[in-house]
Amino acid sequence: MKSLSLKNLAKTYFDAYKGEHVTAIRDVSLEVPAGEFVSIVGPSGCGKSTILNMVAGFIPHSGGDILVGGVPVKGPGPDRGVVFQSFALFPWKTVLDNVGFGPKMRGVPKARRDEIAREYLALAGLSHAADRYPNELSGGMQQRVGVVRALANEPDVLLMDEPFASVDAQTRMTLQDELSRIWEERRPTVVFITHDVPEAVFLANRVVVLSKGKVLAEVEVPISRPRVWDRLVADDEFKDLSNQVLALVRSA
Amino acid sequence: MNALLPLWSFVLRTSVKWPILQTLAPFVPVVALWWAVAAWGPFPPAFFPSPPDVFAKFVTLMEKGILPEYLADSVARLAIGAAIGIGLGVPLGLWIGLSKGAHRALWPVLLFFQAIGDIAWLPILIIWFGFGLTTMTFVIVYTVLFPVILNTVLGVRSVRIELHRAAQSLGASPARIVGEIVVPGALPNIMTGLRNGLGYGWRALIAAEMIVGTSGIGFLMFDARRAGSVTEIVLGMIVLGILWYIVDAWILAPIEQATGRRWGLVTQ
Repeated sequence: MKSLSLKNLAKTYFDAYKGEHVTAIRDVSLEVPAGEFVSIVGPSGCGKSTILNMVAGFIPHSGGDILVGGVPVKGPGPDRGVVFQSFALFPWKTVLDNVGFGPKMRGVPKARRDEIAREYLALAGLSHAADRYPNELSGGMQQRVGVVRALANEPDVLLMDEPFASVDAQTRMTLQDELSRIWEERRPTVVFITHDVPEAVFLANRVVVLSKGKVLAEVEVPISRPRVWDRLVADDEFKDLSNQVLALVRSA
Repeated sequence: MNALLPLWSFVLRTSVKWPILQTLAPFVPVVALWWAVAAWGPFPPAFFPSPPDVFAKFVTLMEKGILPEYLADSVARLAIGAAIGIGLGVPLGLWIGLSKGAHRALWPVLLFFQAIGDIAWLPILIIWFGFGLTTMTFVIVYTVLFPVILNTVLGVRSVRIELHRAAQSLGASPARIVGEIVVPGALPNIMTGLRNGLGYGWRALIAAEMIVGTSGIGFLMFDARRAGSVTEIVLGMIVLGILWYIVDAWILAPIEQATGRRWGLVTQ
C-alpha cells in the first residue's frame, strides 16, 4: 500500500461544440496517506469523476501533480486498481478468469493465479460463482467481482468510481458492509467517489467535499470500527457527521 | 376441437424429440404445393418437373458420382475463399478499427471497393486470369473480405471504453488488450460479417461457376440448361438451399451460441 498525493491538480478541456475552454478542476490538493480510506462527495458536475479518471491515468491532467508513493502518474497502470460504476467485467471470461486477469498480465502461471483468484473470491463470499459468466450474475454479485478483481491485483491505491450507484438499495447496504469489512481486514489505500453522503461517511476515515472543481471542506470521520449498518443506522455520531457533510454538499 | 388436442400434443412431443422435424415441417406445404401444380398439369414435365422426378435425378447423379464431386468442388472453393477472406479480413479490420489514422485513410476506399459487386469483377478477371480457379478464388475472397472487414471494424469500435480502461489498470499491454479484450469483444460482429460474407460468397461462387467454371454446382446448373434438363436445374437449386442451411445450422449457429450468446453480448 502506498500514499496518494494530489498537488494543485487542474483540468481544462476544449469543448468543441461550444468552442470554448472549460475548467473542470480548478485547483485540488489532497493527501491520502497509505492505508487510509478517503471518500470524495459533491453534487453532479463538481468534477469528482474527472479527478478519479486523472488519477487512474485514463485522461491527462492539465496542471499540477499526481503522485503515487511519490512517483508521478503517467497513464494507466496496475499500481492503481479501479472499480467502475458499470462494473466493466469482461463478459467473455468466467468470474475466476476475471479475477485472475491482473495476475495473468503479470505473468503468474495458471495454477497460481487460479489459487489467488479463489482466495479473493472467498473473501467476498463468491466461491460458488467462480465458473459462471458475468451476465449470469446479479448486479450486486457483478460488482463484488469488480471489487475483488481490483484487489486481487494488489494495487498500491484502490480507486472506486460510484461503484454501488447502480445496484438496489438493500444490496448497496450489504456491499457497503462487506467493503467496510474487507477494508478493515486488508487496509488498502482507497479513494471512493460517490454522491451518496451516508455511504461516504459510513466507509471513510475522511470525507472530502468537492464543489465547482475545488475542495470545499474535509471532514474527519472518527467513528470506531468495525462499522456495520446494523449499528451505525441508529448511531448519533454517524447521523451528526452525515448531516454536517450533507449541509456542506447542499451549500456547494 | 377437443379431438384435435391429443393430436396437437402428439405433434409437440414428437417435434421436441426430433428437432429435425421442426426444420422440415415448414417445407411440407411448399413441396405439397409444388407437387400439386406439377400434377395438375398445365406444364409438361420436361418444363416443370415434379418432386419425384427431381428425387430420381438426385439418385441418378449420386450413383454416377457427379453430384458428390461437383458438390465437393464447390464447397472446397468456398472453404478456401472463406479461409483467405477471414485470414485477411479480421487482421485488417482490427487494424482499421484500432488505428484512427488507418480508419481515416482506408474507410472511404473500403466503401468504394465494397460497392463494386463481386460479379462486376468477372470481365476484367477473365482477361487477367482466364477461365479457372484463380478467377473464382479471387471473386470469393473479394466477396467474403469486405463484410468481414467492415463488421470487424464496427465490432472493434463497439467495445466499451471501460473494458479497455479496466484491462489497462490491471496491467495489460496494448498487445494483450487486442487479444484479451478487442478480439472477443468484436467477435459477435465478426460472426455477423462472416455470416454475410459466406452468404454473398456462396452466391458469387455459383455465379462464377456458371460463367467460368468447369465443375461445381453452378456449372452443373448452367450445363443442364444447355442440355435442356429442367429437373437438374431444380435439383441444383434445392442443393444450394440445403447446403446453406447446413453451413448455418451446423457451423455458424453453434459458434454464436458458444460465444456471444453465452456471454450475454447478443440477445436472443
